[in-house]
Amino acid sequence: MLALARTSLTRRAGAFLATFLVLLFGAVMIMAFASMLDTAGQADLISSGGEETLTTMGSVVGGWGLCLVAFAAASTIGLSVRQRTAEIALLKSAGAAPAQVTRMVVAEAGLIALVATVAAVAPAYAAGSQLLRLLVDTGQVDAHVSFAFGPIALSIGCGVTVLSSVLAAWAATRKRARSRVTDLLLDAATDTGQMTWKRVVSATVLIVAGVYLGVLTLTALRDKGPDAMPVAGQSAILVSVGLALLAPGLVRLATAAAGRLFMHRGTAGYLMVQNLRHRTGQAAAALMPVILFTGIGTGILYLQLVENQAAAAAGYTATNEQNNIQTLNLVVIGMIVAFACIMLINTIIAATLQRAREFAQLRLAGATPSQVLAAVRAEGALVVLTGIVAGAVAGMCTVVPYSVVRTGQWIPTVTPWLFVGIVAVAVTAALGAGLGSARRLLRRRAVEAMA
Amino acid sequence: MPGSPSALDTDQALCLDGVTKIYRSAGGDVTALGGVTLALREGTFTAVMGPSGSGKSTLLQCAAGLDAPTSGRILVGGVEMSGASEAELTKFRRGRIGFVFQHFNLLPTLSVLQNTTLPLRLAGKRIDRRQAVEMLTRVGLGSRLDHLPSQLSGGQQQRVAIARALVTRPRLVFADEPTGALDTRSAREVLGLLQEAVRIDGRTLVMVTHDPVAASYADQVLFLADGVLVGRLANPTAAGVAERMTLLAAGVAHRATAAGRA
Ligand SMILES: Nc1ncnc2c1ncn2[C@@H]1O[C@H](COP(=O)(O)OP(=O)(O)O)[C@@H](O)[C@H]1O
Ligand SMILES: [Mg+2]
Repeated sequence: MLALARTSLTRRAGAFLATFLVLLFGAVMIMAFASMLDTAGQADLISSGGEETLTTMGSVVGGWGLCLVAFAAASTIGLSVRQRTAEIALLKSAGAAPAQVTRMVVAEAGLIALVATVAAVAPAYAAGSQLLRLLVDTGQVDAHVSFAFGPIALSIGCGVTVLSSVLAAWAATRKRARSRVTDLLLDAATDTGQMTWKRVVSATVLIVAGVYLGVLTLTALRDKGPDAMPVAGQSAILVSVGLALLAPGLVRLATAAAGRLFMHRGTAGYLMVQNLRHRTGQAAAALMPVILFTGIGTGILYLQLVENQAAAAAGYTATNEQNNIQTLNLVVIGMIVAFACIMLINTIIAATLQRAREFAQLRLAGATPSQVLAAVRAEGALVVLTGIVAGAVAGMCTVVPYSVVRTGQWIPTVTPWLFVGIVAVAVTAALGAGLGSARRLLRRRAVEAMA
Repeated sequence: MPGSPSALDTDQALCLDGVTKIYRSAGGDVTALGGVTLALREGTFTAVMGPSGSGKSTLLQCAAGLDAPTSGRILVGGVEMSGASEAELTKFRRGRIGFVFQHFNLLPTLSVLQNTTLPLRLAGKRIDRRQAVEMLTRVGLGSRLDHLPSQLSGGQQQRVAIARALVTRPRLVFADEPTGALDTRSAREVLGLLQEAVRIDGRTLVMVTHDPVAASYADQVLFLADGVLVGRLANPTAAGVAERMTLLAAGVAHRATAAGRA
């Protein structure tokens, strides 16, 4: 099976590239943060304040990064397995036992994750030493502390990346490997993205926890000032992940609404609605990173802006500790938002390139290339709009409570342009990736694309 | 007369004039069509046969405007197929040409009825639901309107594809091995429907097939070998077609060994 997995990997290099890139960036992020723990491990070298900063950076921030990477691995690998439903059906009809199919897909995922981790070591080393330099430059860690990249970075980076990939592949394949071939072929043609009750329960727990932290910020942490920031910040992350898990349901809601508005207005709207109705799972895979990017970006960036505004109003000059928090927040935001953006672009390219056959069929039924593009644009626009609304809701779970506590205002009076910027990046990345890939597919003649 | 290079009547339902198609690729050029000239009268049913790789699909795709020939002219109902761009070719095809594929090519996310009306919708034409339902009833699927393609058998999917090809009332219909993926009984049903489109509605049909029985439904059979027309059989019978195919295959093998020796 391992040999089969290796052949399948080399034959379909393009299809695996997206998964590989997401895992690579994820592993770089985790290892860079975890190397702070390696650095802190040389405790005797460090004065007390510096060690705490390093440990916080490594465990808290790295912890969130870790969740995000695990989530990203699950979603990209889930997507790639879903896209291979037809291939799994073929293997099964050629006599492959369920366990063989599962082993092959899991081995493939494990191999990719392993290669991605190895490739991530050098850039993670560079990113980690850069991070330490930042902490030293802002005076939060003593200048004589030397950078260490060792067992903790390697084991956590490799462990999380490989483990979450293998688990994701196993979970996504298990059910398919056991289904009947005919059901699989049906599933390959349409994909209604039914949510399991486990998924709905996890999502609900995450959202309730996020809202609870928001309420906590408003009540118990009312007088804590900037100390409420870490708690408030987690609200947006939890609610974003919760809403991302509910993506199939959100796609269905948005499709139902769009169905009323656009179904009878033009071909693009019609095709969009039909496609989203029957390919809910694919659209949900694209929606997830949009929610994460917008939700986490909005929540944490505005958290920092509100805090800066409150501090300025109180006439404080920033203390070392506040600097500390701000650096931390900016690094987290930078890394996590960039990662979510990469995941967004990757997922959308992978999901679009998968549609070569569908586009060709539309063309053969009489659609011009621009009609196909218009349908892709309409679909992308609906997904991005849904993601931005959901992301904004998640962001508000952090921003509103913190703004009330620090400035007494429900809606912060800081610049709205930042939100406009986040929306612009989400729209550009999603539509750019989707339309760019679709254009590439449409350059070939339809009869060739069918072959 | 079909297949005859002289006295080409460009007003016919379909007319090819010296059509060539060369596929250029890194591994070397392949001449798929080496100059095909033919004219087909309105309301006729023509079968195209030939060994695998002889250029049948290429011929159909060029004639249907799904691909552009390397040189030569193609006229549909006296109008020259124009435009190099995909959008222009698409617009030319709409309303003039229907195409049935071996593997159906129905959109998996559209229901039977939606698949059938898709060409009208894409062409921006008014969708006459009654007419589409009538068409589907005629192909025996009046009770499966809201089913998805994946819920139908191969034969049923092909009948939907025929309804879809005919819904724009095209004068010309092409079918590339439309029974190639079907069992014998479904194949007979599909052939009957295609024949009906010619006999009752007066459409012009060109069908590629490997099956001598399928070819016997046609008014004439054209034989293709190595990208050129090499023969014609009017009012074909299955036995007559089979005999010609055997001769043709022997001829190709003979030419291949001759070329190998040279
Ligand atoms: N896209 C293509 N690129 C290169 N060669 C092609 C392409 N399509 C067809 N051919 C070649 O052109 C010839 C005719 O092919 P085709 O028309 O599909 O034959 P048939 O349908 O009679 O089996 C074959 O030699 C085939 O290999
Ligand atoms: Mg062919």
